[in-house]
This record gives sequence, structure tokens and C-alpha cells, in this order.
Amino acid sequence: MALIEVSKVSKRFKTYDRKEGVWGGIQNLFRRNPREVRAVDDVSFTVDAGEMVGYIGANGAGKSTTIKMLTGILVPSSGSIRANGYVPYRDRHQYTRGIGVVFGQRTQLWWDIAVVESFQLLKRIYDVSDRDFEEQLEIFDAVLNLKPLLYTPVRKLSLGERMRCDLAAAFLHRPRIVFLDEPTIGLDVVAKENIRQFLKRINAELQVTVVLTTHDLSDIEELCRRVLIIDRGHLLFDGSLEGLRERFECKSQIVFELREPGQVDFGRLGFNSSVEFQQLDALRCQAVFDKKQVASAELIKSIVNSLAVRDVTLDDTTIEEIVREIYSRGEVVPS
Amino acid sequence: MRHLSILGYYFAQYIKVRLAYPGDFLISVFTSLAGTVASFGFLYILFHRVSSLQGWAFEELLFIYGFNLVCLGLFNVLSMNLYEFGERYIMEGRFDQIMLRPLHSLFQVIFEAFRIESFQEFATGLVVVVYVWHKLDLPLTPLDLVLFLLRPLHSLFQVIFEAFRIESFQEFATGLVVVVYVWHKLDLPLTPLDLVLFLLMTACGVTIYLSVFVMLSTLSFWFEDRVGVSPPVYNMIAFGRYPVTIYNVFIQFLLSWIIPFAFASFYPTTYFLQRHEFSSFFALVPLVAATFVLLALLLWSRGVRGYQSTGS
Repeated sequence: MALIEVSKVSKRFKTYDRKEGVWGGIQNLFRRNPREVRAVDDVSFTVDAGEMVGYIGANGAGKSTTIKMLTGILVPSSGSIRANGYVPYRDRHQYTRGIGVVFGQRTQLWWDIAVVESFQLLKRIYDVSDRDFEEQLEIFDAVLNLKPLLYTPVRKLSLGERMRCDLAAAFLHRPRIVFLDEPTIGLDVVAKENIRQFLKRINAELQVTVVLTTHDLSDIEELCRRVLIIDRGHLLFDGSLEGLRERFECKSQIVFELREPGQVDFGRLGFNSSVEFQQLDALRCQAVFDKKQVASAELIKSIVNSLAVRDVTLDDTTIEEIVREIYSRGEVVPS
Repeated sequence: MRHLSILGYYFAQYIKVRLAYPGDFLISVFTSLAGTVASFGFLYILFHRVSSLQGWAFEELLFIYGFNLVCLGLFNVLSMNLYEFGERYIMEGRFDQIMLRPLHSLFQVIFEAFRIESFQEFATGLVVVVYVWHKLDLPLTPLDLVLFLLRPLHSLFQVIFEAFRIESFQEFATGLVVVVYVWHKLDLPLTPLDLVLFLLMTACGVTIYLSVFVMLSTLSFWFEDRVGVSPPVYNMIAFGRYPVTIYNVFIQFLLSWIIPFAFASFYPTTYFLQRHEFSSFFALVPLVAATFVLLALLLWSRGVRGYQSTGS
């Protein structure tokens, strides 16, 4: 059975447009111009226990709003959410005992005092026993190398260090579901890798269900088998990464460099219209093709055999390009 | 009850935070003390010129003032975050974190920060009350008075200056117990009922203050602007330090039934001062406190449901 069930959920906000300038500010005092914003519109999906799901979308697409509804911070305007057997906003007390949340932009640790003090208070808040507490810390230390950080005030930690501590804090009470809102934002490559390894292990060994939002698609490629794409409040795609690649026109391209400058007669390669050839300059040529129709190995073989080439490079469409395409089109184009 | 056991840990946590910046802490204790001294100084100078204020003697006013300070001190200790709720929690989005923990949201907001230095006001108020109580009934020898004044102050100083440890509050409490004991021993007219009533009235006073400011804080859930209602209302607390009868009818009504600060300071004291013309108001104190705390909680939970969070 699904651990998280989201059905036809919408969230509408009322915001007030402000006029600019001092005079505008005075006018704002007396007249407010309400405007309704649909941050999330009719979104439905389910997540099974043990899954690791990536939730992506451009800035303002509705990712954070969805996460906030899933964690019980916001009440949906319509539709229903059930997670871990609870209605998040209604059963907040029981529900929050079973979930962990990390907002990459924010910390839940006490800013001015040592990290371990925050852990100790969280231990009380969630009624974690001494034994479980020690055990969890050992596990975290093994992957996140936490021990050297424990006695430093949070404000003195680097962003990467702080994020490691925040992750540990969110997992301290052994939640069944963990929500991560941009956990790798602003981190360097090493710190990112560190955090990915941790999430992988937690997911595999402790069967924690993970829902994460990110702008870094390599997070998704490394961690999640399943992605949800949201744009302007609408859910555009729900499926596997391979499915995403397949569903969109996956144009690949080969750029090859000739040994000697000259005009190439592409007709002799014999690919007709399935490959689009173009001479970029005297030395370099480009071939754009669809992987589903033409095997790249065939194409490369043909080029290398028929022409005198020095160098061949193959560019696949990355997930990033697909997503960029989706964002700019704002809709899913069936393949 | 689980909340109650966690309260201590929240308090300890905040002490640690404050201790991270000891200079800042000492300065705020000092300014807080200076404020209290100044307000008593005003009362003293006032009665240097006039012998009574519309039939209220200096000692009686001192008593009201002292009782007010007992409630206000406790309220000030607890109200730090309420006062800055809109700014710290709603506009900076910290309320998100509050919603993610399995504790009542109001509990977390109130107990994430304490204005520790205001324990000073609480203690000073208590000293004044004890002093007047004594003074109105029995003549005190100067030695007695020094004893009375020193004991709570001594433990107070331990709390504030020496250790900042929660354990010191036990000493503070012990000091109070000793004062009450000596008071009893010297055969001052203090029945156990009086004591119970005094504690009850203190609790009611703090509850009324907290409820009013919780209600004001909830406005932040609906208005994203910085709403500056709290400071003027806070200043109105000062009105409650005097007998309401010295004000005109409009202010009397306001302090009794709209923003019931008179129920948090003046009316409770009338019983102990044996001003029985106010006894019906005195009886209403717990009811007013209960009504306002219910209203505040109701408004709070409505606010939480309408919480909009910030971007990202």
C-alpha cells in the first residue's frame, strides 16, 4: 500500500500587490489589491514505502508548497493528503514523530550553541532513548563524519558541515519518511557526494522513504529511480528517469573533425533523412540524430570508415536539457 | 504533561544560548534593574508631594505596584517571543520549523526564548508586596526589614549573577519559602487561604497578560505587515498599576472589559488590601483569566490553519 497518497491537491494563496514608491506605500495602507495565486493545482501522486523520489521544478513551480503540505505546515485548499496513516496538518503531533524534514535554506539547529546541544534537545522532544540516540549517532558518524563537529557552535560551521548536522538532526528519531527541500543547495562537489552517500545508505539500510526536491539534476540521476516534474503548479511528469528520456525526443549529436580541410559529401554515408548533417567549418562537421532510429555505433563506424577523421565526440541529451525543454514549453509533448 | 517536562530543557537550552554572549546578558540585566528602580523612584517622589491619591495611601499603591510587578515579571520572562512573533516567526519563516515538531506550536514559540533578566522584576515585586503587607499590619523593626529584603535578593543575585543555573532557582524558591516561614512565625496575619489566593491571583495575572499578547501575535498570521500593536498595548500595562478608580469611566471600562489589565493587577490586590467594595471584581478574576486564555488559544489555532509560510 502507498505510504503517501496525494489526491487532487491544490493550494491557493492570496497575495496583495503592492504599489511602489512612498506614495504607493501610503496607498497600500488603505487599499489592498488581492490576487489569487495557484501555487499547486490539482496534483495527484502516490509514493510507496522505501521509495526515493525526486521532485523537480523551476523556481516558483510549487515544489516547496507541495513539501510544506506533505509535512503538515500548510493546509491544502482542496484535495486530500494521507501520509504514514495520518492527515498531515490535522494529526500534526503524531505525524511529525514519524517524519524528518530538512530545508536546505534553513537550519533547525540552535544557532548560537554547540551542535550536540541541539541533538540533546531534539532527543527529548522526540523521546529518543539513550541507547537509540547513541546508536544513531554512530551510524551518522560513520557516513557523515559527525564527531568532530559536535562541539562547535552552529554559526561557526561551514554550509556543508551544517547540512551534515541538519541531516543527522532530521534522522535522529528514526523517521519513516524524510522530506528534503534542496538538501544540496550551495554545496561543493565533495559535500554533495557525502550527502548523497548518506541518503543512499539510509534509504537502503533503514528503509526510509525519501522525497527530495532539488535543482541539481545530478542528485536525481544518482539517487532517484523516479521523478516527479512540476511546473507552474501542475504535475507534468511522473515516472522513471528512463521513461523521461524515452518520452522526449532524445536527439543526440556527433561532432567530428576532419584530417584535412575540405567539403564533405554526406550523401555517401547513406543515412538519408534519419541523420541531419551539417558542416560547421572547414574542419568540423556535426551529425544530429535520434537514438531510437539510428544506433550511434553504426553512425560512428560509418563516419570513421568513409571519411578521414581525426576526432569524434558524442553528446547525449542530458536530463538537464530535457528538463530545460519542459520548463520552457510548459507542457509535456508526447513522443 | 510531556510538555511540562520538556519545558525545563527548553529553558536550559536558552540559558546556554544567552551564555554564549555573557556581556550582552549582563548589560540587559543591569538595564532591567535600572528600569525597576526608576519606576519605584517615581512613585516615591510622587508621594513625597501628595499624601494620598484619591483615597489610596502610598503603601496601598505600593502593594498594587508590587503585585503588578510579580505578574509582569513572570510575563516578561515568558513573552519575549510573543512580542517578536510576527517578525521572527512569520516573516522570517521560522514558524515552519515549529510546525514540524511534535509539540504544541504556541508552547514552542513561547519557550524558545526567555527574558531571563525579568526575574528581577518578579522578585522585586514580591519583596515590595511582602514589605507592604507587613507594614500595614504590624510595625517592623529595621532589622526585620533588612532580613526580609535580603533573603530573596540574595538568591536572586545568585540566579542572575553567579551561576545562571536552573538549580539556583531552587535556592530562589527556598528563599521565598523562608520569607513566608518567618512571616508566619512572627505571627503576621497571613492565613493559608491568603497564600493560596495570592498564588492563584499571580497565575491569573500572568495568564491574562500572556493571553492578550498571544491574541495580538496571532494578527501576524493574517497580516504580513509588521503590525505594531504590541508596544502601545504593552505600555497600557502601566495603567493597571494604579487603582482604576482614579481614571475616568472610559478608561475604567477599557481596562476592565476590553484589555483586562485591571484584572491582572488592581482587582486581585483589593482583597488583600481589604477593600471589600471590589470583592465582586476580585471573584471574577479567575473567570476573566480563563475566558481570555480560551479565546487566545482558539484564535491561535485558527491562525495556524491559515498560516501561509514564506517563499521557498
